[in-house]
Amino acid sequence: MAKKRVMFSPVTRLEGLLSVEVTLDGDRVVNANASSTAFRGFEWIMRDRHVTDAVYMTQRICGICSTAHGAVASYLLDELYDNTLSENAQLMRNIMYASDIIQNHIRHFYLFGLPDYVRMPQRPPFHGQNLSDARLNPKDDQRLLENYFEAIKVSQKSHEILALFGGKAPHQHSFVHGGVSVAPTADKINRALALAKTVSEFVKGKLVPDTELIARAYSDYYQIGVTEGQFLSFGLFRFGPKNERLLLKNGVQKGNRLIPLDIGLINEDITNSWFSTAFEQGSNGKELIPNPYKPGAYTWSKSVTYGGHHYEVGPLARMIINGKYRGGASTMDRIYARTLETVHFTQLMEDWLKRVKPGPAPIEQKKTPVKNKVVATTDAMRGALLHSAWIEDEQVVRYNIITPSVWNFSPKDEYGRLGPAEGALVGTVVPRQEMLFNVLGRIIRSFDPCLQCATHVLDMRGNVKKESLL
Amino acid sequence: MDKEKFNELCHDLAPRSDHTLTEAILQEVSSFQAGHQNKRLPVIWIETSDSGDNNIAFLNSTYPYAGQVFTDMIDLLYCNSFMTAQGKHALNILEQAAVMLKGQFTLVVEGAIPLKDNGLYNVIIRTENRNITALEAVNWLGNLAKYVVAMGTCASFGGVSSARPNITGSVAVRQVLNREIINVSGCPVNPDWFVGTLAHLLMYGRPELDDLGRPTLFYGYTVHRHCQRRSYFDKGDFAENLGDIECMFSLGCMGPRTGADCPYRQWINYVNWPVRANTPCIGCTNEDFPDGSTPFFTPLSEKGSDKDKEINLPPNRKETNKWQKRG
Ligand code: SF4
Repeated sequence: MAKKRVMFSPVTRLEGLLSVEVTLDGDRVVNANASSTAFRGFEWIMRDRHVTDAVYMTQRICGICSTAHGAVASYLLDELYDNTLSENAQLMRNIMYASDIIQNHIRHFYLFGLPDYVRMPQRPPFHGQNLSDARLNPKDDQRLLENYFEAIKVSQKSHEILALFGGKAPHQHSFVHGGVSVAPTADKINRALALAKTVSEFVKGKLVPDTELIARAYSDYYQIGVTEGQFLSFGLFRFGPKNERLLLKNGVQKGNRLIPLDIGLINEDITNSWFSTAFEQGSNGKELIPNPYKPGAYTWSKSVTYGGHHYEVGPLARMIINGKYRGGASTMDRIYARTLETVHFTQLMEDWLKRVKPGPAPIEQKKTPVKNKVVATTDAMRGALLHSAWIEDEQVVRYNIITPSVWNFSPKDEYGRLGPAEGALVGTVVPRQEMLFNVLGRIIRSFDPCLQCATHVLDMRGNVKKESLL
Repeated sequence: MDKEKFNELCHDLAPRSDHTLTEAILQEVSSFQAGHQNKRLPVIWIETSDSGDNNIAFLNSTYPYAGQVFTDMIDLLYCNSFMTAQGKHALNILEQAAVMLKGQFTLVVEGAIPLKDNGLYNVIIRTENRNITALEAVNWLGNLAKYVVAMGTCASFGGVSSARPNITGSVAVRQVLNREIINVSGCPVNPDWFVGTLAHLLMYGRPELDDLGRPTLFYGYTVHRHCQRRSYFDKGDFAENLGDIECMFSLGCMGPRTGADCPYRQWINYVNWPVRANTPCIGCTNEDFPDGSTPFFTPLSEKGSDKDKEINLPPNRKETNKWQKRG
């Protein structure tokens, strides 16, 4: 049978713009090209600005994980200025960070993921659903639909916790270098605790059973959308006066082996990305230049590898690396691990809220940088996030960012090796033709794609080596 | 409720404990609909070059919650983030809605529009043989729409997407379309500003706009005018550090020239706003955000724009100890 190419665009219900072109050989997907179709050029935007602008500016990379960018930029500045963090500051930071992650996970499951599995009413914005493989009974459909609307309210409450301490959301203001600008007063803590309780009741009472229901009804998705099972995480929730302690550890998981992380092994490749290299004016190095006309290229995302291999990042990676999930690397494993992580983080958030001591704003910013090159890492909602800066006189010379979706939505590299999402799509069997978008959509969304951030290139000279990362 | 009453309600500065602005809007919308065969506002919403923060901000709407807006106020015909249809089914819906509701729908644009390289820096949909760029989509839909709402500062004025050096050549919607644009700016937009504007369009049509095309309902006053820290400013009592309770002018506050009602409307169920979080307002609703606001933590009069040097400072601030706390 002749091979057939099908364009899946727009892939809706995600943040940002994504198109996926698949090649079908009969009922089997034999190739997939994931195209991130927007480019903003954040590293250029960051140049020649005061380095402290990074805490607010880089949040504008992504509206659904803005706190992650604010956090990693804060860690970066903490190291640059040699700040010392108090216990209260770290608790407050992590409460804000967790509240944003919980918001993300609830919204992802219900608003973006649910219509892949549940019959929605035939009215805007749910019309034209094309759910060709609906398996729940009408009663369950109805219950999950009600939870969809409740999820809108509950995720708002999670953001309310963020705004209580962070001034607003998205793009909070108070999680900055040196600590947190808001005073954790008893009334604020109590209010946040009440909100956290509502959120955690929903997570335990609705999100978990709803995930279990879908996992049971669609259990074949434990065998669909499988990656190689190589995971990477930069760790999450920093504590200690110098951000030195990670609550969720970082590392690289290959099979049963957990290997310590060495960020010098990260490499990026632009073979299939809309970038060319050109000699940079006034320097003898090469610079990457966006080139939307580059022949053969198909995405604004670059191909990022670690030690020469593609790695999956995200909640499943974090849960596996931290020994909190034992399972495979499939569509349903990703969904299930995200829900388990949400339960875990709501408990942590409540616990931290009880440990915060009411008092003045826990913040102390030093004024003079002690370094001029720093790399900072964390895990965002969707996985590993890296910022690095090279400064002169507190002005940014280079600011580089590698986001989670660049890992998961890596295009093929120079050797034609597939990134995790593309790899998960290839090999998939689509039993009936009208199920194509349905099946592909489920696999793609299990990565919680957010292509706003994949659009920002790491502004490297040629290949990324440890020294050029700085 | 007549239009004047509605405007009064939006302008109501009294810090009411029940925060009824949007709740009142919802009630008004229902009673309006009851008298108008359940009329809803047909909306086509396209996401272009931005961070997606505005659709997340919209989801933080309270009274009405975003779910109530979906079911009770608008017909959200096309929206990349929230619609259930996908792939070419979604494109079909877009094409049909544009034709069938020509001259009736409201186009919401979330993001700036890259112009360089024929707009290829932002492709909203691809088909087997072509790219539909944000530039093309805005031109196409913008000329068919009854109203065009630019949601957020990128769409309204270019925003962060067009920040220097702007290598994608991104511009605001008003620089692409030769027609009136309703600019609902903010980075992100406060959901009340957006949902309030939609409610106004549904019930009374076009709201009154300021000289930047923004509804005066929400942008008519400066942040500075109603700031809780105004008395500190007037006394020349300035914060030294983030976290201090005095006026944030010394730490870069843009409040004196930022039109927005943050001090009394606040954010996320009305719980807080940046100055109450002991940080400066960064002027995110402004025409020149972010370049006119950076460096963020440098006082307005030192940020570099000539306009800002003219900001009137309180007479009694100490020149020698400028921006430091007095005493
Ligand atoms: S300068 Fe800023 S903090 Fe000070 S009174 Fe004006 S708006 Fe408030």
